[in-house]
Amino acid sequence: MSAGVLRRLLRSPADIAACCREDRDTRAIAVTSLIAVVLGAAAFGGVIGSFRGGAQIAYAAVKIPLALVATLAVCAPAFHALAAGLGRAWPMRSIIALVLAAAGRSSLVLLALSPALWLLFDLGLDYHAAALAAALAYGIAGLAAIGILIRGLGAGSGRALTAVAFIGVFFAVGGQSSWILRPYLVRPKTTQVPFLRAREGGFADALRKSGRSSAGIYDRASVRSIGESDRMNSTPDQVRAFEGSE
Amino acid sequence: MDAHAPSIEGYFPVPPAPFVPDATSAPTESEAKESTPSLLGQPPAVPSLTASLLAEEEVFSPRREASRFGVGLGLAALYGVSLGTRQGGKAFFTHAAFVPAALAAVVALGVPALYISLALFDAPIEPPRAIAVAARATARTGLVLAGLAPAAALFVVSSDAPSSAAGAAIVGLVIAGAIGLTRMIGDLHKAISDAPASTRAKADFAFFGFAIFAVALSARIWWAALPLLGGAR
Repeated sequence: MSAGVLRRLLRSPADIAACCREDRDTRAIAVTSLIAVVLGAAAFGGVIGSFRGGAQIAYAAVKIPLALVATLAVCAPAFHALAAGLGRAWPMRSIIALVLAAAGRSSLVLLALSPALWLLFDLGLDYHAAALAAALAYGIAGLAAIGILIRGLGAGSGRALTAVAFIGVFFAVGGQSSWILRPYLVRPKTTQVPFLRAREGGFADALRKSGRSSAGIYDRASVRSIGESDRMNSTPDQVRAFEGSE
Repeated sequence: MDAHAPSIEGYFPVPPAPFVPDATSAPTESEAKESTPSLLGQPPAVPSLTASLLAEEEVFSPRREASRFGVGLGLAALYGVSLGTRQGGKAFFTHAAFVPAALAAVVALGVPALYISLALFDAPIEPPRAIAVAARATARTGLVLAGLAPAAALFVVSSDAPSSAAGAAIVGLVIAGAIGLTRMIGDLHKAISDAPASTRAKADFAFFGFAIFAVALSARIWWAALPLLGGAR
């Protein structure tokens, strides 16, 4: 792990991006960024897990870096191919270094936001506000990553399209791998917390179901999934709240 | 018997370095001195195998273009294998065979027809150029499909609903097909850039027809043959 690379990740994203693109110093950038990803995401996961406390702190601290690294592993070949297809036929190692650098920078931002998020939890944020705060932190970290990614693509035609393709693939794969590894944010009253929830469709199915629920349409399957007795005693708002507790 | 098989670089010689650094991302002199002292003596970047695969050649070589075309189909087969992970067994082979089959069919049936149309309009494109452009488009499409293969496998395996798995597969096919097709038409456009405006307009008409044909034929083959999309049952 190099302190110099860490400093450049934070202060000189353009420099890091140029190094990745020109295939210079990529090993040091990749190694340092990967360590930053694991540590930053683990700290953020620990804070997310602290909303419920107990074993969930460790679970979330393991699962959030795992989801992020798995996402990067799946996305890197796609990024390489999309960049080549859209006019940037760079070596795979350049793309991997660029993606890791972007993820490393965003993880450092998550690391920085973790204490503030923990303080908000400690001050008594309710479940939905906690979910929103965590999403906001993710959004800020994502912007930090995009800064490196856009610079890394350099000038030339197809830059915006390539960036949009990268972001689209990252969101789709990240959503799916995160969905597989949920739950992360768990209500404090939950008595038993599984490391992984039972498989219930995919990320796209969940988005579609949530969209329908928010429009007041409740599918039989989704209502059944919270249990027959719960369904009998639940209002639509309670059903929606349950579906949102991911 | 003892002859050595040429390496893949032999078929796709390394093109000149394509990268030109832009002013917005270049570090300042002081920044470079301060933060990257160890980088100054490093060798320049070597163009990737991908760059070689997609590079435009000065001289037409049937063997090289055939290799490029074959590599493209092979890469597309990887996407087929990833689609086969949902059902396993025979589905691996079925998907691996029919994903590239659509690309091969478009090139085999569509490109000669496109060439004839362009020749009728007197567009200055010769068969070698059309073959090279088609081979490069196949390689590009195959490359994108291969890159999307891990993501497709993730969605196909972890989605409960068959429609979600099919949707994920279709998204990959559409993205790769769109990239290959638009780049191919872009290359052909470039080839006739010196032709009279009326010829270019007629050629545009032919390109549009080719694009419609390519989309329709690929969709027909994939829907009919890929079990994941409800075909071959």
